[in-house]
Amino acid sequence: MSRFIVSLFLSLVVGLTFAGPQDNSLVIGASQEPVLLGDLLDVVGTQAIASEVELWIYDGLYHINLDAELEPNFVTEVATVENGRMVITDIGDGDSRVELNLTLRDDIVWSDGHPITTDDIAFAFEITQTPGMPLRSPDYYSRMNVEVFDAQNFRVTLEPAQSSDLVQSPIDLLPAHVMAEAWAAAVGAASALDPDTDAARISEIYQGFMTDFGSSSAINEGRTVYSGPFVPVRWTPGSALQLRRNPLYFNHPENVADYVQTVEYRFITDTNALLFSIVTGAVDVTSSVSITFDQALSPQVTARAADRYDIWFVPSATWEHLEVNQHSNVRQVADLQLDDVRTRRAIIHAIDRQAMVEALFDGLQPVSHANVSPFDPMYNPDVRQYAYDPEQSEQLLSELGWTRAGDGILQRTTADGRTVRFELEFVTTAGNAVRERQQQFIAEDLRQIGIDVRINNAPSSVVFAPDFFDRGFDGSWTGMFMFAWVSSQASSLNQAGYLCRNAPTPANNYSGQNLAGACVEAYDELRDLAVVELDLDAARPLYQEMQAIFAEELIAIPLLFRSNPVIVTQGVVNYVASTFNGGYGYPPARPELVGWAQNGAAVTFDQAAYALAFE
Amino acid sequence: MFSYILRRLAQMLPLLFFASVAIFALVALQPGDPLDELRMSNPLMTSEQSAQLRRAYGLDQPIYVRYFKWLGRAVTGDLGRSRTYGLPAGEFIFEQRLPRTLILTVTSLTIALLIAIPVGIFSAVRQYSAGDYAITFLSFVGLSTPNFFLGIILMYLFVIWLPETFGIRSLPVGGIPNLMLSDLQSGQVTLGEFVGQWARHLVLPVFTLASGSIAAWTRFMRASMLEVLNQDYVRTARSKGLTERKVLYKHALRNGLIPIVTLVGLSMPALFNGALITETIFSYPGMGRAIFDALIHKDFNVAMAALVFIAILVVFFNLVADVMYAVVDPRIRYD
Repeated sequence: MSRFIVSLFLSLVVGLTFAGPQDNSLVIGASQEPVLLGDLLDVVGTQAIASEVELWIYDGLYHINLDAELEPNFVTEVATVENGRMVITDIGDGDSRVELNLTLRDDIVWSDGHPITTDDIAFAFEITQTPGMPLRSPDYYSRMNVEVFDAQNFRVTLEPAQSSDLVQSPIDLLPAHVMAEAWAAAVGAASALDPDTDAARISEIYQGFMTDFGSSSAINEGRTVYSGPFVPVRWTPGSALQLRRNPLYFNHPENVADYVQTVEYRFITDTNALLFSIVTGAVDVTSSVSITFDQALSPQVTARAADRYDIWFVPSATWEHLEVNQHSNVRQVADLQLDDVRTRRAIIHAIDRQAMVEALFDGLQPVSHANVSPFDPMYNPDVRQYAYDPEQSEQLLSELGWTRAGDGILQRTTADGRTVRFELEFVTTAGNAVRERQQQFIAEDLRQIGIDVRINNAPSSVVFAPDFFDRGFDGSWTGMFMFAWVSSQASSLNQAGYLCRNAPTPANNYSGQNLAGACVEAYDELRDLAVVELDLDAARPLYQEMQAIFAEELIAIPLLFRSNPVIVTQGVVNYVASTFNGGYGYPPARPELVGWAQNGAAVTFDQAAYALAFE
Repeated sequence: MFSYILRRLAQMLPLLFFASVAIFALVALQPGDPLDELRMSNPLMTSEQSAQLRRAYGLDQPIYVRYFKWLGRAVTGDLGRSRTYGLPAGEFIFEQRLPRTLILTVTSLTIALLIAIPVGIFSAVRQYSAGDYAITFLSFVGLSTPNFFLGIILMYLFVIWLPETFGIRSLPVGGIPNLMLSDLQSGQVTLGEFVGQWARHLVLPVFTLASGSIAAWTRFMRASMLEVLNQDYVRTARSKGLTERKVLYKHALRNGLIPIVTLVGLSMPALFNGALITETIFSYPGMGRAIFDALIHKDFNVAMAALVFIAILVVFFNLVADVMYAVVDPRIRYD
């Protein structure tokens, strides 16, 4: 009894964990918990935190480095035309077939010591080709074929190929020697069902198969194996996930003992509670899914930063913008001439975007001028830029026939003799405080030039529902709609979002992402050429010209690219992220190199080269 | 009585059927569907792919077809898989979330009762004393302080201010300890460490959750005791020469507790619902958060499993309450 009381007292007063350089460990605070790990083909879902954790425990064929360049990882070299491993064949109609001939290294093993071979690639490919598999990117896999020649050599074919196919690992690996038996059982169970009437049941079987190897209980029972520099050893749902170094990983640094040996993801879902954890030092670094931008700049965090931790803002490819309804059949659009680029130019000239980012974000989320991130290799820095110039706005609106009424609001007489006021509907996601503050800022600027803004916000479940989001053609929203597109380097090469043919209308059963109905034919023509140009250097001018058109025609009104706050305790080295490292820019770029300087870990990467610091 | 219980159980079935229809309809009729978030994060998704996923999730079928498919499987014990978590919905709700919610809510209820009853009695017995005024004041403060405010204030006090000012170790900001029962069974931690870690994590959310109940039940207890203390039989007991202690605890308290027992009984289903606000502030993975997240992310199977379970509890505890009335009050008979 006395032992119980003593240990109870000690654990109440002292606690059980000591983090940091003392035991060469790292505690990462995250506001989200993965649902499961190892769903590398996205059968169950996509989740930012799961992708980030998977960087520690899985490796791929290629690695996307901090400068968004491909490096060989499990393969001996990246396939290029120059080294003869990439073969491009013209298949007519402007399309090409790409063959990537790759060779696996011979020194790579799973965490149980079993060699990583082409069996693991063929196994993953077989899963992607299974009818009824609820993949998130079925289009990509439908264009893929894999041929295996021996344990190391294989070929991935993409037909028709797209430029976006060439900036990522062609396929992920799954451990066939561990999963094949359960896979056969899942296929057997699914084949007994009718694909027409039991599609949902079939997809549940396949999702169950993935879950059985990636859930917390599966991981705690050691049901599967890993290929990355760390392996999970314990996952307490709702609390923490612990990782330790994988001794069989092929690419540990020399003097590996100098680098962190154990990592703990601590899941604190309320961001205020997570903020408290940061300021008390309970976590060493933050995940990319962590406190909000505002919270990172809050006095509670910044006042305690000196000599304790650095606050970084890593630019992301998440693009905040204003869609302007350009469906000319909508009466309000026609009345306000939103389908005329001069109106959109008047709007953008009226918004002091620089003042907005200074006032709301301390300038740490820079103004954007088109829809491609400045850190994207295809970025065009020379597009038309619209300075804050309300006089220019008023002049443009005057040319369009608008005059101020007695109450200061613009009005004009339409061709059919009606007098209309410039009342502009402005929609965004209710409850997103940061976005609502931007909205107030923009609305106030527009009022200054005589535009009466009518705010019409609703929860994201309402505004992103198909009967609202996709129905701009029917006037579900009639003015401006502020939200963000999330993209990776690969998706930004696709650029299908603003094609004329992708405007949701009754003719295409309201499909497509071009919800505002913007249409510039020259943009479409360039995009269709760029997406099949597999020489990325040759494609660059096409993408850059698209951005020039985007800005010139104001297909949408660019606001800013978001930045992800990352807090790093001083002494932690190589916990570094960039816009596109690893695909989506989750930290760290190279988990095996994360360590504490005081324990001898060498600095390889400098976050200052890829992010802005709070001063 | 037995036939009454059977009759009530038979009535429960259609009641639960209609409750499940209503819950399913409310969940299914929310704007949007689970693919909206997916579509927003994947601008490349074509309408064909979207349609294929809708089919894979069964969202292409009419609501009534989806309901009867769900019902057909639910009656066999198959509650489907969580669309968000990939796990079987039953496992997620009943094995992961429910036990944790019960740890939080039962601890909170117990502490609330342990504090509210003696303080209420004290307040009644010492009516209009300084202590009574202080307790009344604190009760009203407790009643009028919302949980979300109290939680954040407590967090600031015990996680930042006290540790920074006095150098004491801060309490955890929330969540649950990184401990599993298997750690205790395997001897990796002692019972003391296990309980201590849980206590450190629970102290703030439990007090936040209990504060409202302590305040309310203290007031109820005080009012109930005052009413009883003015009854003739208490005066009779005193006039018989019984000690004040016997009068209070043998004659007054047993009757004074009856309204409290009713209140506690009514709050039993709430023990299983979780406490959304407290769970959110303290990042506590309980039922409240599970239900809220399931509704927000349109995770039908989890929402249905949790909400129908709560509907069953409500109906069941109503039956238990009716039966208990007959047990405790001989004047009530169900024939």
